[in-house]
Amino acid sequence: MSSVPSGLERPQLVAHVQQPLSYTLFDCKWVPRSARLLCLGSAARGTGVIQLYELRGGRVELLREIEKAKPIKCGTFGATSLQQRYLATGDFDGNLNIWNLEAPEIPVYSVKGHKEIINSIDGVGGLGIGEGAPEIVTGSRDGTVKVWDPRQKDMPVANMEPVQGESKRDCWTVAFGNAYNQEERVVCAGYDNGDIKLFDLKTMSLRWETNIKNGVCSVEFDRKDVNMNKLVATSLEGKFHVFDMRTQHPTKGFASVSEKVQKSTIWQVRHLPQNRDVFMTSGGAGSLHLWKYEYPAQRSKEDSEGAEMGVAGSVSLLQNVTLSTQPISSLDWSPDKKGLCVCGAFDQTLRVLIVTKLNKV
Amino acid sequence: MPVWLREYSWRQTGSAVYLSLPLRGVRVTPANIFCTDQYLKVSIPPFLFEAILYAPIDETNSTAKIGNGIIFFTLYKKEEAMWDSLTIENDNKEKLQYLRENAVLKAHEKAKEETEAKKVTKQEHKKYALEATMKLEEAERKRIENLKEKERQKVTKELELWKKQQEDAEKQKRIQKGRELHQEVEQLKERKKEKMNKTRICNEGTSETRLKPTKGCHGSYSMFSENLKEEQLPAPRSAATIKINFTSRVFPTALRESRAAEEEEWLRKQAEARRTVSADLSELEDLKEEEKNPDWLKDKGNKMFAMGNYLAAVNAYNLAVQLNNKLPLLYLNRAACHLKLRNLHKAIEDSSKALELLTPPVPDNENARVKAYVRRGTAFCQLELYTEG
Repeated sequence: MSSVPSGLERPQLVAHVQQPLSYTLFDCKWVPRSARLLCLGSAARGTGVIQLYELRGGRVELLREIEKAKPIKCGTFGATSLQQRYLATGDFDGNLNIWNLEAPEIPVYSVKGHKEIINSIDGVGGLGIGEGAPEIVTGSRDGTVKVWDPRQKDMPVANMEPVQGESKRDCWTVAFGNAYNQEERVVCAGYDNGDIKLFDLKTMSLRWETNIKNGVCSVEFDRKDVNMNKLVATSLEGKFHVFDMRTQHPTKGFASVSEKVQKSTIWQVRHLPQNRDVFMTSGGAGSLHLWKYEYPAQRSKEDSEGAEMGVAGSVSLLQNVTLSTQPISSLDWSPDKKGLCVCGAFDQTLRVLIVTKLNKV
Repeated sequence: MPVWLREYSWRQTGSAVYLSLPLRGVRVTPANIFCTDQYLKVSIPPFLFEAILYAPIDETNSTAKIGNGIIFFTLYKKEEAMWDSLTIENDNKEKLQYLRENAVLKAHEKAKEETEAKKVTKQEHKKYALEATMKLEEAERKRIENLKEKERQKVTKELELWKKQQEDAEKQKRIQKGRELHQEVEQLKERKKEKMNKTRICNEGTSETRLKPTKGCHGSYSMFSENLKEEQLPAPRSAATIKINFTSRVFPTALRESRAAEEEEWLRKQAEARRTVSADLSELEDLKEEEKNPDWLKDKGNKMFAMGNYLAAVNAYNLAVQLNNKLPLLYLNRAACHLKLRNLHKAIEDSSKALELLTPPVPDNENARVKAYVRRGTAFCQLELYTEG
């Protein structure tokens, strides 16, 4: 059982670089296996912007700027191989595009997947992580969640849509998980009415759903490529829930522990790629909180009827820092350098941070 | 009438006067003794002793020793001289009085000055203390800043090192790749076998060293590895749809816990409003079935308003209100009509009624509330009650 270190022994969040931008930044991602990062956003004239920066000295240098017709909301490298490193983006018009950044004029794959803005995108099966086919999932304001395979044109391989006649709710976030072998896949989706739904792609069914009483801003599994272990869901009103996904009870679902951070929305949660029990949440007041999850002594126990029930652990705050007055809407850890992360806020600033002392956590 | 103490004895030197005053049976405290530079008084009710001194004394240095039943005064003279007597012989009551008052005044002033001086010193002490604490805090802050700065620099250096490592590894790999490519081109049969090995080695290699492949060198290499990978990847999933239901929510906005209670209330009010129909008007029997429906009347009113027939619209709304006085929209629309008709006071009344009904404020009825405020404001402005507007 590790205890939380105190004072200056704690991990420090050091702001390394701050780069002001001239457009609204919606998403920022590290390019795998490099010191480059990608910024996706919307320029003032209503077009989409992709900028490629490289970390050099104490600054970021702009390497490439690409303009697209529609503003871009989200992007991922999750479904592409390490050699190709194609970027999959979702834009304000509901188009899913996969770009080769060396030749970005024409997308490698393009489909008008949704009728409204694609709020969130995730990819699995690429980058040498996990097994199985590369797939991309998109969640949109039209209430549907669709899974795409870049080898299949126009038709999604899975479509989670509301029943006929049901009024739609905004899907705000999606995440892949449980991709530990070629057949197993799970998609988790969070909606604005507080619903979290877990879809099993192997059996093509709804595996679990719950409602956390506040709109769900971000969900993430701690690792996409293992047997699903933990899921963190963040929401409006400053709350987040950590679900223990190893044991599913037939009626009660998954055990969870929740924390309330502050009054403002928690926009993003991201797990540290090098340590799956450490994650960072970004808040609407421009703050970042670094958390550590501690497992309970026993992860599951039997309830009165003999069914297995999960036991949630506890979450402790390692460090927090306030960087901006505007919400920090996007966050990404570098998969190559432990502790290096980039965040983008609505004050049109890109910040690169270094989190120290993560080895001792 | 006080009892005058006349028994006293005194003797003097050139610079001082020693006065002893016997007091039997009374307790003396310093508060009973009052002394200025030419007036001495000891007052212990009912006993009283006073003396208007022959010459001024230095009363700050003079002392009074309170002993057992006796007070011993040591008074230092301001001027070295021998006094003829202790007190000034003066029967003039007025003069006495005047001297007494003077003495008291002088004492007061002295006291005042003392307090002033004390205050000033206190202030200075406070200031000093404040400055000292500020300095300490500043020092502490600087120390933390320095630590943070050092941390930052260390981390920056590490980053640079890592980047350099990357670049070096990249260069090495590039050279290696070039060599390997040549080998492949020459030997065809062995290629497949080698490739298999190489993919495994190189894949492992890529995961160990940080590598950014360049397109040129990698063209053929990646193609081959891609083919292999294709064989290992499963086919795309067969398309399927999962139908889902959502937890029901009336409002189009996102769910927030803090707003949930208010939204509940609003919904309840709406439900009530729909149901209440304030009937029992004899005129109702004349009306057709249609005309009893407040919604239908509201629509009629809207149509009239659109056509410009404001009076008719008002009539329609009036009837609707008679039937159901809880629908805020009716009041809102009627307010608009009154505005057009320049019945400004009525417009204000109706907008206010509408606003009352539109509590609690939720985003759902925001539009309606905005309209209500705007109409009320316009009416006030037209009445030239600009402040109210």
